[in-house]
Amino acid sequence: MPSVTLYHWEPNANSGKPMLALMEKGVAFESRYLDLLSFDQHKPEYLAINPQGTIPAMLHGRRVLTESTAIMEYVDEAFEGPRLMPEDPRDRWRVRWWMKFMDQWLGPSFSMIGWSVFVGPAVRARDPQELEGAIERIPLPERRTAWRKAISGNFGADEMQESRRRVALGIRMLEEELGKRPWLASNAYSLADINGFNLAYALPVTQPTLSNDELTPNILRWLRAIYARPASKACWAMSRTSMGKRVAILEQPHIGAGQPA
Amino acid sequence: MTTTLYHGEPNGPSLSVLAALFAKGVPADLRHIDLARGERHGLPFAKDSLVAMSIEGEGPVLVVDGEAMTDSVFIACYLDDVGSGPGLRPADPYERWETMRWCRQMIERTAPAAAYLGCRANPPKPDAALLGRIASVDLRARWDEIAAGRFSEDKLADSRAKIAQAVEKTEDQLAGRDWLMGEFSIADLESYAWLAGMVRLVPAAFATKPRTKSWLERTKAQPAIARALALARTPDPAASWSVGPEINRWG
Repeated sequence: MPSVTLYHWEPNANSGKPMLALMEKGVAFESRYLDLLSFDQHKPEYLAINPQGTIPAMLHGRRVLTESTAIMEYVDEAFEGPRLMPEDPRDRWRVRWWMKFMDQWLGPSFSMIGWSVFVGPAVRARDPQELEGAIERIPLPERRTAWRKAISGNFGADEMQESRRRVALGIRMLEEELGKRPWLASNAYSLADINGFNLAYALPVTQPTLSNDELTPNILRWLRAIYARPASKACWAMSRTSMGKRVAILEQPHIGAGQPA
Repeated sequence: MTTTLYHGEPNGPSLSVLAALFAKGVPADLRHIDLARGERHGLPFAKDSLVAMSIEGEGPVLVVDGEAMTDSVFIACYLDDVGSGPGLRPADPYERWETMRWCRQMIERTAPAAAYLGCRANPPKPDAALLGRIASVDLRARWDEIAAGRFSEDKLADSRAKIAQAVEKTEDQLAGRDWLMGEFSIADLESYAWLAGMVRLVPAAFATKPRTKSWLERTKAQPAIARALALARTPDPAASWSVGPEINRWG
């Protein structure tokens, strides 16, 4: 069997998706942790693997795979282990609908807020010249723009407002959908849940007034059910920073209505 | 099982779904709606959240046993699963990954650009009462900009660049093969549906791309595409556009 190597950051957002999918499938892989805050993903060693400089990337033998959601579908199809896509074609459609919605509409709003409160301040302390050099090495123009905005704290007030609107609406949609069935997109645990957990595991920390046991009981039930899975525990144990460690809030048996952050 | 497809003129997402339906021989009741008038928002299931919040914009809706499904690539995957005949995705997992990744880039980068340029050249004419029923705030905002004729020069330039990049990739991908993924697939349907109308709007992008040009001809002649195009109610369906996905908010 060709070996699997995964280049990833924290079990969070895009990096965590193939990490958790591999662990649910029981596929052994070599982990290469890239420090996003040190711009490891734009260094020549990594650009030789993925010229776009996006994380994650997976090596399977000599093949290089990128795009976290597409990697997850590959992991599910290429390896033995429990199926992470439902059998029913309409359920599969629902899994893909939700993954796209989270990847392209809800996720970017979460990350705009996350970057403004976490990534921006964390890298802003660095030497400005070193930072500018690091940004210049980013291959994709839209990622250069995003990093500049995050570092300078330059997200416009209306952009942030729109992101907050989307996060609030997205939370309501997730709560409603999880009221219909045990898992997000079908009656069986699927890639949509893996994707969604990576987006939402820290919701009670980051959005305590919008997501808690009183307001969003279905979301909290769902997050705890995913966190209870051995693969999730093993995956989040790979966290090296305060980012992934926020998952610990799910160990609290009850999370009451929070105060505004 | 009852299947109904609500579709617009055979261009963009309506074209790829119609062609997938025909290629896979899935029986369905076809209902033509005017997406450029906003008629999707007058349908009884328009406020179902997976319809209202579809980020594809004004695309077709497939209703199967009461469940309304949106997003053309994923509807095409569904039709590929339930229909008969040759698969519209490769069987090998790695080639399937390539197909899904290709389609993802098409819907994320190319589709917003094509719809923006298409709506500029062929403005949709919305019905005010139907616009008032749009549940998604951001889709409504895109409609308002387009209905008022407010197009940003930056976004137009960015959109032309995205089309040029897509054609460049298509040309590279077609080296030594007739179809993007080797065999005729959803990637061809989706790429053709967004790019066919761009030849006249961004001619420079296609100028030195012989493989892409002959692939466009080859795809247009495929029976499933030809059958979808024959459903057109306007003389030039490739000039029929409605509001598409949003252009990446991050810049």
